[in-house]
Amino acid sequence: MALIQCTNLKKVYTVGGEEVRALDGVSLSVEAGDFIAICGPSGSGKSTLANVIGGLDQPDSGSVVVEGMDLAEAKDKQLSEYRNKHIGFVFQSFNLQAHESALENVISPLVLGGVGKKKERVEKGMAALARVGLTDRAKHKPTELSGGQRQRVAIARALVNEPSLIIADEPTGNLDSSRGADVMKELERLNDEGITLLVITHDPTVASRAKRVIEIKDGKITEKAGAR
Amino acid sequence: MKFKDQFRTGWRNLSRQKLRTTLTIFAIVIGAVSVTVMLSLVTSAKGFLMSSFEKTGEDRRVIVTPVTGLSYGDARWQTWSDGTGKKIDDAAITALAAVPGVTSVTPIVGAQYYDSARSATTEVSISNSFMLGYLANGSVMRDVTHGRALEASDDSGGVLVSRSIVENLGFKDNLEGAIGQKIRLKPRKDFSEMMKDVEVTIVGIMFADGDAIDMTLKFALDTSPVFERCDGGGPNTQPTCTKESDVLRNGYPAAYINIENKDNADVIVDEVKKLGYGGAAGQEEINSQSQAFTILGAVLGGIGGIALLVAAIGVINTMVMATLERTREIGIMRATGATKSTVRSLFTVEAGVLGFMGGLFGIVLSFGVAILLNGVLNQQLEDGGISERNIITIPPQISIIVILVTTLIGMVAGRLPARRAANLDPVEALRYE
Repeated sequence: MALIQCTNLKKVYTVGGEEVRALDGVSLSVEAGDFIAICGPSGSGKSTLANVIGGLDQPDSGSVVVEGMDLAEAKDKQLSEYRNKHIGFVFQSFNLQAHESALENVISPLVLGGVGKKKERVEKGMAALARVGLTDRAKHKPTELSGGQRQRVAIARALVNEPSLIIADEPTGNLDSSRGADVMKELERLNDEGITLLVITHDPTVASRAKRVIEIKDGKITEKAGAR
Repeated sequence: MKFKDQFRTGWRNLSRQKLRTTLTIFAIVIGAVSVTVMLSLVTSAKGFLMSSFEKTGEDRRVIVTPVTGLSYGDARWQTWSDGTGKKIDDAAITALAAVPGVTSVTPIVGAQYYDSARSATTEVSISNSFMLGYLANGSVMRDVTHGRALEASDDSGGVLVSRSIVENLGFKDNLEGAIGQKIRLKPRKDFSEMMKDVEVTIVGIMFADGDAIDMTLKFALDTSPVFERCDGGGPNTQPTCTKESDVLRNGYPAAYINIENKDNADVIVDEVKKLGYGGAAGQEEINSQSQAFTILGAVLGGIGGIALLVAAIGVINTMVMATLERTREIGIMRATGATKSTVRSLFTVEAGVLGFMGGLFGIVLSFGVAILLNGVLNQQLEDGGISERNIITIPPQISIIVILVTTLIGMVAGRLPARRAANLDPVEALRYE
């Protein structure tokens, strides 16, 4: 059974009085352990698709079924718990809380989810930082870290709750090519460990690493075979 | 998210904007101080008044007057009778004493016969003094600050005087020294032919407004002037002339009833009225004064409340700014699993912390203000002849209520910005620059 089953997703935005079909009948099946790259030009609907799968946004119609729950019908509390426990987000602009240390950023999903006590959270947070090789930067604020390190902290935050799916929206977009390659290696390693990976990108080198490549244009998808 | 974590996060977020947080809290502090000080002032003044009513027994007193329809306040000034109304004589006193629930009845007479008092060294004018004669059986209590109250044995000439008279007699720095001193009371000019000087002993000093001298009734009657009164005519049209005092002719101007149970005052007043006299309960006066203080408290508290309202607007402003500045943070929290209700509680708790801190510091500052004001007021009271008292005492329940109220105000004021924050679209919030 598929990890995520999207069926006939539709989502229309009105921008400046004009309707934009961000999702126009998208159906997609994501298997556990997949590494999918979603590619397409700006405004093609790739971020909308990722947000709908990640439970940040809901479609106008259609269904997104994850472990028997339809995200399209879910209430805020269910969606929030889904984002907290099952999804890890990695953003282009890192989206770390600037006033918190790397460790505090990493354990924030545990705090929001009310998981354990401080000691347990710190242990889990340090373990996540260890997976991205940043234990020595635990007490540093994001401003004291390089772009690549920041993105690895974001990855550690995405990992801390042992999610089944990591959604990375242009994870290398703000990094130079060598740091970007490091981050992609990190994500690939996680995929090798069994975590399903959904990467949104318009960078062909990033897409070329995926097992499946989905092109999206005007809200419609076409699938190409991945390079791996 | 656990409450402890919400509180910690809220506290941390507030400390990120120290100046803004301090100013917002300061506004609440001002509101809290004004409410606390004003309410405490009214509560303390009310307590002070009530305790003085208790000390003088007015809470358990009914004043009987020959005429009906007087309020308690007016009945207190009935110290001279012109004969109108139903005569209060000794038989009436006996009848009043027989009313169930009455513990004692004391006839009262004014004794405004003297215009100066002389100690061994000084003579002072007492022509404006309030002079009263009554039976020293305890139903007319005085707040005695030095010496003792009048006793039945003081018929031989003991008096209770107010502090200002004692001070004017030369005992300003040695009030205790005045106790036991003999003074001579000199009659008013218009009575000088009917009365002689009389020597009395100061037995105690009372806490009273203005100049006042209390003496026992027997002593007052003994020393009162006796007028010659001639009635009608005999068989040979010779008028019959008798000598008698005003009091014996017109009756006592008033009688103070001491009742067993203060809640019973209305019943006693009714009984007095049935006997054909006017009656007014001290409880009536206490209730009306107490009500006046309650209204004053509400008005002053309301003025303080306006300061709190302004502070609440400050909280709204601060929290609206916070939600705007932290839009992206809210987006990140939502992406990592915060529910709408978590975001709402976070901002509500934060606003509540502002209110709580404002209330707490406000109470601390209020204690400071109370100490300061008491220092000044005590000096003034001391100078005015009143022994030192702390007029402003902040009752613990007011402290707790003020802290609870400011916290609640903070939370209510934070509610609107908190809702705004919770209802942000996470996708939009994450894009916010």
